[in-house]
Amino acid sequence: MIKLEEVTKSYKGNVTALAGASADIGKGEFVFLVGPSGSGKSTFIRLLNREERPSSGKIYVAGKDIGQLSSWKVPYLRRNIGCIFQDFKLLPKKTVAENVAYALQVIGRPNHVIQKQVPAILELVGLSNKVDRFPDELSGGEQQRVSIARAFVNRPLILLADEPTGNLDPATSVGIMRLLDRINRTGTTVVMATHDRGIVDTMRRRVIELDRGSIVRDQARGVYE
Amino acid sequence: MIRKLRYLFTATFSNLWRNATLTIAAILTVMISLVLFGTSLMVRYAVDNATARWQGGIEFVVWMNADASPQQDAAIRETLDESPQIKDWTYVDQEAAYQEFLELFEDNPELRENVDPSILPPSYRVVPTDPDADVVAELADQFRTRAGVRSVALPTEVIKEVQRTGDIISTRTLLFSLILVVAALLLILNTVLIAIGARRREIEVMKLVGATNWFIRLPFMFEGVVCGLLGGALSIPAVWWIRRSIIEEISSSEAINLLTGFRVADSEFQFIAIVLVGLGCAVATFGSVLAVSLHLDV
Repeated sequence: MIKLEEVTKSYKGNVTALAGASADIGKGEFVFLVGPSGSGKSTFIRLLNREERPSSGKIYVAGKDIGQLSSWKVPYLRRNIGCIFQDFKLLPKKTVAENVAYALQVIGRPNHVIQKQVPAILELVGLSNKVDRFPDELSGGEQQRVSIARAFVNRPLILLADEPTGNLDPATSVGIMRLLDRINRTGTTVVMATHDRGIVDTMRRRVIELDRGSIVRDQARGVYE
Repeated sequence: MIRKLRYLFTATFSNLWRNATLTIAAILTVMISLVLFGTSLMVRYAVDNATARWQGGIEFVVWMNADASPQQDAAIRETLDESPQIKDWTYVDQEAAYQEFLELFEDNPELRENVDPSILPPSYRVVPTDPDADVVAELADQFRTRAGVRSVALPTEVIKEVQRTGDIISTRTLLFSLILVVAALLLILNTVLIAIGARRREIEVMKLVGATNWFIRLPFMFEGVVCGLLGGALSIPAVWWIRRSIIEEISSSEAINLLTGFRVADSEFQFIAIVLVGLGCAVATFGSVLAVSLHLDV
């Protein structure tokens, strides 16, 4: 599903975020990206989403070399990739349901589809009773559930998560991880960058550890360190 | 498709509304720049119309009698061809004189209906080699007494003055209008940039979930184009008012009755109106495309 071949990403001023990273992630896998701040986890995620292009090396997503993808095709790539973040990125003036529906509206899905899928996904993330609330009326965990609903409403093949529990307390984090696990069980590939030792050690999934841009460990059913 | 159009419409107008003060400034600047541009064009047309007979270096006109004989005509032509002081001349026959008359009195159908080509005198429009006033006057006098000649007309100093002043007015207004067009362009650019800034989060989310570039860009581009379109549309009544209140005033003035032809025909005004709206849209499109391509890449 995802394949990196000797991927290097450097920024201006000789900063190397990723140095010759290679990895192969299969369909339906759940992968943790761990490592200290600045080790290249976020760059890894941004490269998969084509928010950045590699300086060298090749990245394949669903069989396509996304470094070669022309820019008008990038939106179609992103429709197959859901993204969630530490800061949720919800629109404050839209309700829960509107935030989720927005993701379908802006890619031109018809209303009848939106009206069917939005309640279904909000049911899945457990927010059926809060559809008309605004983001600032929700707890952090609930906001992250909205953001997961938005990322997953289009049923993407891949879900990328950059520190999704970074702003949440441990108990809430467990709930979010259960949800991501459930999504993973539907066959969706999940790649999650995290600092959360407890989560990694409990879940016992594949762990890719980065240090100063290099992959120093790639372990099936691994722990944080 | 209808859904997309509705989105485009609501997004464009919510941007314009959110940005109301800057939008108004942009629209007014577009309008004023186009009013100046339109005025410049009108002055040029009016001067051309007032001095239609005196363009292209023509320094005097020999009017023939409407019933001048072919021999009389031939004699005049021979003189015109042979004189070394004459560079060029054109013959305006009765039919051409009638066309000219129709154009000049386009807005006066009563007069047009009552005039028949046969009563209009044909004429020779003469371009002398030396445009010096004394030389021209002497040259023109040679034709006054010839057989078949009805009269010889020389442009008066007033007409030359009109041409000169008209040129000055129209080039100066053109210059200032161009400076204002640049200001309008920059204002539109800024209006669009501010709209983009105000919707950063939405743009981020749209990119994230895979909205196409055009879907994201079009509302912002439309915002600029609407400014240009409104500015262009508003400039038309303003230019029309200038035409009524200044240009027509001059042409009907008793004091300067030489300037009866100083006017802008309806067809010319329509052309100017189209040019103004077109220019407004072009400037706005350029400004907003620039803003979008500077700040809305994938």
